[in-house]
Amino acid sequence: QDPTAAHYMFQDDPYLMPRNSANARLLSLSKESGRNAAKYIIKQFPQYFDKILAEPNVPCLMPVTLTPQLEGVNEEALRERINLRMVKASVDLFDQLLQAGTPVSLETTNSLLDLLCFYGDGESVQEEQREEKEDLEESGVNASEQKTPKRPLQRGPRSSGSRWRENNDAERIFKIMPERNAHSYCTMIRGMAKHGASAKAYDMYTELLNERHKVDVHTFNALIAAVPFLKDKSPERWELVKVFLNHMVQQEVPPNLLTFNAVLKTLRRCGGIGRSMAISVLKEMEALKIEPSLATYEHLLFIFYRAVDLGPSSIISEVLEDVEKRSFTAQDPDDANFFATAMQVCCDLKDIKLAYRLNKAMEKGDNWKFLDMSQLNSYWSKFFSLLCMMEQIDVVLKWYREMPPSLFYPSPKNIVDLLQALDAANHLEAIPSVWEDMKLLGFNRRQDLLEEILSLMSRDTHPEETQLAFAKCAEDIKNVHEQSWREQAPLAWTGSALGHVAVLFSRVGRTQDAWYVIERFQQANRIPTDRVMDEFLNCAKQTNSPDEAIKLVKLAVSLGLSSAHRLKSRAEKEFELSESQR
Amino acid sequence: RAARVRVGKGDKPVTYEKAHPPHYIAHRKGWLSLHTGNLDGELGAAERTVEDVFLRKFFHGTFPGCLADEVVLKRRANALVGCLLLLPHLAPAKLCFLVGYAETLLSHLYKCPVRLEVQTVPAKVVYKWL
Repeated sequence: QDPTAAHYMFQDDPYLMPRNSANARLLSLSKESGRNAAKYIIKQFPQYFDKILAEPNVPCLMPVTLTPQLEGVNEEALRERINLRMVKASVDLFDQLLQAGTPVSLETTNSLLDLLCFYGDGESVQEEQREEKEDLEESGVNASEQKTPKRPLQRGPRSSGSRWRENNDAERIFKIMPERNAHSYCTMIRGMAKHGASAKAYDMYTELLNERHKVDVHTFNALIAAVPFLKDKSPERWELVKVFLNHMVQQEVPPNLLTFNAVLKTLRRCGGIGRSMAISVLKEMEALKIEPSLATYEHLLFIFYRAVDLGPSSIISEVLEDVEKRSFTAQDPDDANFFATAMQVCCDLKDIKLAYRLNKAMEKGDNWKFLDMSQLNSYWSKFFSLLCMMEQIDVVLKWYREMPPSLFYPSPKNIVDLLQALDAANHLEAIPSVWEDMKLLGFNRRQDLLEEILSLMSRDTHPEETQLAFAKCAEDIKNVHEQSWREQAPLAWTGSALGHVAVLFSRVGRTQDAWYVIERFQQANRIPTDRVMDEFLNCAKQTNSPDEAIKLVKLAVSLGLSSAHRLKSRAEKEFELSESQR
Repeated sequence: RAARVRVGKGDKPVTYEKAHPPHYIAHRKGWLSLHTGNLDGELGAAERTVEDVFLRKFFHGTFPGCLADEVVLKRRANALVGCLLLLPHLAPAKLCFLVGYAETLLSHLYKCPVRLEVQTVPAKVVYKWL
């Protein structure tokens, strides 16, 4: 793997390669939006794209027939529209059928209810696969998104997520159904729980129990996941979960992986009870021979580490042992968060060995697929911060050479950590190269980074070549402050930044530049520190320019500095001044 | 004669591609469009030519003012690889957008995978001034 190349989705060209994480995201999103624009055009004008002359046949590029073939008001047409996921059209057709008096069979009504509850009455939600009676694939979701764009706009502003409207189509159809079976109830409950109407879901569940229908495992999963919205206090929540689980036992419905994950998800919000119960939940899973998925581990880590007032726990090493052994497949939508949470836990615990093990686990088999582009950056960013804190400097530098830009782009915090690590290891000569990297990443206008780098450079004196390199950096920084680049306003000087730059220039003997910077002090209304003055006098002495010294003393006097007197006496002592200058 | 740039006053910039007349193809120049349709016993040369014409017009329109030289089209076993030389007149995000758009649209049009390999040049590369 080439460490100096960006991700393979970007064009391999210096103009088109992303520089930092924001740029990477922008370029990948723009490419994706280009693809979406092309797909939109293909949908709008299918008549230009239907010449099928490809050999061999490429199925994904073939035009997709999304318009229903059957016309007429009958049940087959309704079923076809349901298959094509056309929510609005199928509801209209259903109403037409009822008005015409034709009875609609139970299965068809049930499948219509499934469709409506999945989409929450016109809301198209992108979700992973759920096992329902018919397999609702994701390709159909995109089709319906474009078919029902008008409906959500009628509702006005809402909070995030989709909402279950009062008396919407699903409820209406449910009410007018002459006969309902268990499937109808289950679908309604799942739809309500999914779209946030948890109280109604619970009512419908009691209704279902009254009618003595059989409940299936997915409904139980949905209800358990909706428990945090029903009750507010942790003990009540756990009681309700136990009630549901008892019902499951009574109805002899076997729990599956998603049940346990839902239980753990609810336990996340149960506080202290969660920790004691989580272990027993795990033991149950083992007893039933259900393999835990990554989401299980993620919930466990969250319960044990991220909740407030936690005590130390060693569960992460056990979790890592399990994770290292297997290569996982995606089974639960929450699987994706596992690696991010795990890395966060490693950072909180400040344990570098755990982080290495986590990396190995991620590289094994298919596990790398669980981190998508945006999470990848934050994952590696946290790993790098941990490295800077805990490891020796040469290991840090080795990783720093290898990781960006192929794996991640350093964030400003990473650069600060790197500088501090260099400082701790007395390796400050590497600072000019870090400054070059900062310029590449586009961080050269961030005040905090500039302060950090300048203070590190000017703190102690260094051998000659390093000083020269530092002075060059200082000049770059000075240019950043001075020049205004098209739309960007010039960066305002701060007192300490000015001081550091002056010191760096004086140490190398660049008197003109140093004087220029000191003049800036007055312009920017800042006061130079004593150290700056002393350094400048040293520099002036080295280059034998008593005029400069005089100018400095005059400046000090004009600024009303307390050290002006001391400077004056020192200037008199060290320089041979003519009478006029005195 | 054909495809020769007439000598002028010396202020006309000419790229390497344009500067050489057609009898230099396979000696000093390469082909702009590579496919097997013109080999002995192969069919479909005319269709490939028509596709080429369309593709060149398409790229000329999609990347307005950004093409530094002619597009080189290569066909490798059902895939179409278009090699563009672009000038950096647009922002990188916009160029990426256009690349993604062109790739998907052409794939669906010709029912074969289309890949664009883009290289940016700071200015048109001048070979001679005629």
